[in-house]
Amino acid sequence: MNIKRRLRRKPFVPINSMSDIAFLLLIFIMLISLINYRQEIKIDYPEGEYQEVTQADKNLEIWVDRAGAVFYDGAQVTLSYLEAEIADAVGQDPSVRIHILADKNTAFRNVNGLLEILKLLQHRAVSLVVKDPSE
Amino acid sequence: MKSLPVSFFQLKKLTMHITTKRKKRIDVAESGVLSDIAFLLIIFFIVIAVFNVNTGFILGLPRKNSSKIVNVEDIVKARLEQDGSLLYENRRITLDFLENTVVERLKLRPNMTFLLTIHPDTPYQYVVDIVNLVRKDQVENFSFRMETLEQ
Repeated sequence: MNIKRRLRRKPFVPINSMSDIAFLLLIFIMLISLINYRQEIKIDYPEGEYQEVTQADKNLEIWVDRAGAVFYDGAQVTLSYLEAEIADAVGQDPSVRIHILADKNTAFRNVNGLLEILKLLQHRAVSLVVKDPSE
Repeated sequence: MKSLPVSFFQLKKLTMHITTKRKKRIDVAESGVLSDIAFLLIIFFIVIAVFNVNTGFILGLPRKNSSKIVNVEDIVKARLEQDGSLLYENRRITLDFLENTVVERLKLRPNMTFLLTIHPDTPYQYVVDIVNLVRKDQVENFSFRMETLEQ
């Protein structure tokens, strides 16, 4: 009769540790957002209906604004400078995906200049970026 | 009746019996407020963070000055003008007409090659419209070049 029955403790989730998890998640998301940070140039994206996701593991973005100015990594560049940069990037990793983000109202000659460089460098695939339908 | 004198200590003893209700202090860490703030911040950053995923069209580029032998019968030639109008066999056509033509030719000749000549001043959107059409109709052989204007 003296033997006492052990009472089972009910399992519970400690709420205090939730804040720690939340803060770790927060730091993780902040870091991810910093990694994905890109210097956007203000352009009107062209629109298409049958686009696909063209993002690859390694990406190189070239921006062309309405006036035909070419931007790389947030700075306006000349075509000859860009050629050297592309050659360098492709030399380091041949699988790098090159994206052209051009304003829908820019003259085709501005985009064609970039395509000619890519042809010259024998780069096989190029992504013509259009407006994301979810935006 | 004579009232008894009450000393200070006795008075203090009497007052000690009066208990005031004290509010229990809530520990900030235990209350779960921090987790709420953290989750709100997470949601904020998820909304703010732009996960840049590019969507568009992947085009295979030919080597510069490379050539490919194609049957003349398989070629459909069109011209994109500065104002976005399309020329096919020397007449202006709409995008829908071009699409129908391409689809019909593809049925007859699966190896059809669509050649597009583009005016240098054509707005880029019109070019994208044609690429969109090519993707829609699953044209395997698509080639475009910029028209060279004479000075």
